[in-house]
Amino acid sequence: MTLPKGFGSGGTGGASSADVERMIGRRVENMVGIITISYWAALMATAAGTAAGYFYYPWAYPTASGHFAFIVLAIIESIGFIFCVKISEEGSNKKSNGIVAGSIGAAIVFVLFVSIFVGW
Amino acid sequence: MAQMPALIPKEVEIQRLKKIFLMVIALGSIAASVEVDNFVDGSLHQTSIRDSAFTPAHWWLYSHFIALPLGWGAIAIYDRKVPILRGPNNSMNTGLKITILGYLATMFTIGINEMWHFWFVEEIFSVPNHWMFNMGVVVAFMGALAYVVRVYARLVELGAETPGENPYIAEMYKMALEGKLYSRSIP
Repeated sequence: MTLPKGFGSGGTGGASSADVERMIGRRVENMVGIITISYWAALMATAAGTAAGYFYYPWAYPTASGHFAFIVLAIIESIGFIFCVKISEEGSNKKSNGIVAGSIGAAIVFVLFVSIFVGW
Repeated sequence: MAQMPALIPKEVEIQRLKKIFLMVIALGSIAASVEVDNFVDGSLHQTSIRDSAFTPAHWWLYSHFIALPLGWGAIAIYDRKVPILRGPNNSMNTGLKITILGYLATMFTIGINEMWHFWFVEEIFSVPNHWMFNMGVVVAFMGALAYVVRVYARLVELGAETPGENPYIAEMYKMALEGKLYSRSIP
């Protein structure tokens, strides 16, 4: 197996496990933190985006319409979040079901709060 | 399909393919969110026909036409680390090429669209300036599907993805990997 420049032992042997780890970099199963932060950033951006609609253009975007868009988008983002965490951890011993359940639960509370109390 | 000889260690390839998969899911979520914007944009244009390029529905629509090509461009850069995904003559993967071409068409159409609306302040779905938005997105989706199926098939090949538990589905996976699926199902 030909390894990239800088890896291996100069043609005398294959890749060592240290080489493999260097080529991998950060493993996907250790990316749950950044995936969770990205999910919350996306959710906040979505809330801000729909709010821009019904606060800035209330005559074109009724609040109910903005909330409907926000709810559907939160569902889309949540499905993507679950897929990302599941794919990154499959085949490893790591389990982040608590983080996923906590995030989705908090997101449900947040979406309900915005839909019921904001913009009416 | 015989398993291709590995040019990089299997563990490295699996990790890289999964990173590509995560990026594709993020871009897929953006693409799905713009489906919602179709309705938001439609509600705007039923109310105000067209007031300007800078309304929330248009920020959303136009920024996705920038974000998705950039995202797929990032995948194209990262994709070079996985030899199995190379296209003909060591070029970019064909699915990726088609995806990026499709989204480039939509980026180009933003300019065309603004020029049209400078003179014609209407918002009829079927006018010519909108054609290439729709065709570009469809072309991009077809390329993305081809690419993501290739990535998934390679993950199955490497044993990183478990075929279905249903024995009939598992048998289909096995035959597909051996290149016998079509010869069995299409006599």
